[in-house]
Amino acid sequence: MYQSKWRIFTNHTILVLGALFMILPVWIAFASSTHTREYVFQNGLQFWPGGEFFSNYGAILFDAEATKGRVTALEMLFNSMVLGLGFAIGKVIISMMAAYAIVYFRFKLAVPLFWIIFSTLLLPLEVRIVPSYEVVADLGLLNSYTGLILPLIASATGTFFFRQFYRSVPDELLEAARLDGAGPIRFFIDILVPLSVTMIAAIFIIMFVVGWNQYLWPLLMTTDDQLYTIVIGIKQVYNSLYEGGQIPQFPKAFALTIMATIPPVLVVVIFQRMFVKGLVETEK
Amino acid sequence: MATVTLNQAQKTYPNGFKAIHGIDLKIEDGEFTVLVGPSGCGKSTLLRMIAGLESISDGEISIDDKVVNKIAPADRDIAMVFQNYALYPHMNNYDNMAYGLKNRGFSKAEIDTKVREAARILQLDDHLERKPRQLSGGQRQRVAMGRAIVRQPKVFLFDEPLSNLDAKLRVDMRLEIKNLQQRLGITSVYVTHDQVEAMTLADRLIVMNGGIAEQIGSPIDIYEKPASQFVAGFIGSPAMNFLKGKVSDDKKHVTVGDGVMLDLDHDVEAGREVTVGIRPEHLDLLQDGKGRINAPVRMVESLGAETLVYLDFGANADNVTLRLQGTHQFAKGDQLSLSVPANKIHLFDIDSGKRL
Repeated sequence: MYQSKWRIFTNHTILVLGALFMILPVWIAFASSTHTREYVFQNGLQFWPGGEFFSNYGAILFDAEATKGRVTALEMLFNSMVLGLGFAIGKVIISMMAAYAIVYFRFKLAVPLFWIIFSTLLLPLEVRIVPSYEVVADLGLLNSYTGLILPLIASATGTFFFRQFYRSVPDELLEAARLDGAGPIRFFIDILVPLSVTMIAAIFIIMFVVGWNQYLWPLLMTTDDQLYTIVIGIKQVYNSLYEGGQIPQFPKAFALTIMATIPPVLVVVIFQRMFVKGLVETEK
Repeated sequence: MATVTLNQAQKTYPNGFKAIHGIDLKIEDGEFTVLVGPSGCGKSTLLRMIAGLESISDGEISIDDKVVNKIAPADRDIAMVFQNYALYPHMNNYDNMAYGLKNRGFSKAEIDTKVREAARILQLDDHLERKPRQLSGGQRQRVAMGRAIVRQPKVFLFDEPLSNLDAKLRVDMRLEIKNLQQRLGITSVYVTHDQVEAMTLADRLIVMNGGIAEQIGSPIDIYEKPASQFVAGFIGSPAMNFLKGKVSDDKKHVTVGDGVMLDLDHDVEAGREVTVGIRPEHLDLLQDGKGRINAPVRMVESLGAETLVYLDFGANADNVTLRLQGTHQFAKGDQLSLSVPANKIHLFDIDSGKRL
């Protein structure tokens, strides 16, 4: 299609402005995180990086004092990683299996069960967080990774997506596999899982980011600093910005924020490739 | 080496729809049987019942005298080729063929021998490492056949395997399938709606309609002596011409159209109303204008080797098709004079459609 020069110019201008609009705040946060706290306090937010990159980030990563708690950013990153991965992997596995049962096995309650699962989409975590807390507390799982991850592992969204995907898989594949002597478990592992790789990647990306960004849930489930995730850590650092009449720790707070964004970005970048590759290669 | 026996096999779906109304059939060892019929006639259902992909509501299906009603598809020792190939898209062609053997616990070396042998027969040697999507339709269909033959099953089942291929490839693959089946001598059941495929491939043809077998016989028998008007219209291309007629008082003639008398060689009571069937290729064009049938040309289709002429046959007949060898120059409205030998006339009951 022919596009006039003006049109290309306008399109690109809009694109560049949009990109700048998204990236600039992140860049300013990063630039400001590389100055001393006195400098930022006196001169405000910085556009150009300063010379304190290593000292600020080093302190945040390895010195618990810098994050105003008893855990370092590294430990918090680890906690977030456990939560994000556990959350995403668990959801993928559970929803794949649930969708498999719903689509491929004819049992009487399959349809009502699916709609019950689906209707839980209407109930966000916040609505049921008190009873959920009660359950976790009764099971004695407060302040544990299990308690953080397990109650969130069921996923209506994931089940729905996998159900739609399985329904698009031609029936003949199942029949061919049956003739080839593959039972239900073999069919699932040998045929369905490899075919779902792109779906798995997509759901994994979404769920990892959702898990990583959980705030209210870990805040309620953990009272032990050792289990704090980085999102809670950020909140904590900002809370204590003005405490004790000291000069606010803006650079370190920014540094923590920047670090909190890196893993989800990496996950998206890495899996996006697989995702796109899968999309390009998958053809009936 | 196996026989397949159907004993009053029936299929009723849970919603009460009766797809198969009880079919009796014995398929001999090494025989190539073709199920043919219009869509919805139950031919695929019947094949899937033999495969075990559809349950059998009533009656019995046996493979080698062993009733298989309750036996899982994988344990019936059959292999099936699907219309859309149904290859596993994420596996390469080697693994596609090897998958069934792996599941049956064959050793790596055995699998390798069998797969390479099948690939050699089907000329797929160079494509084993590729994925199905990198192959053309014909090659994919060959992989699907390879997947069937590596297992050396008792019975091959084909579910319209050539429908997704283009016309030329279809002819090539048709010959290849026939060749392969004869070479391997494996009992085969083949479903198609294409009557050319049916005629050319079949040792025995089963024409199905509405869940029943209208006629079972060799392709030539069915062509020459269709058991019903349905079979007569379905087998043969272009389709047989049907005209309303009445048998004359001396039983030697039948009157069709606007008083055209045709010679008859049948034993039918005088005065009976019948449906007269004449194949387009059995109408003879007479140059001298002395034929019994005289009708104007309505349309001409020249196919090179043959010419199809559609004739206007008066108000009480739809269309009469005439099939002539070679090319002919006719204009719309030209009067043609035709005759038909008495032994090429088919008579059918006007209500039941049964052959008289």
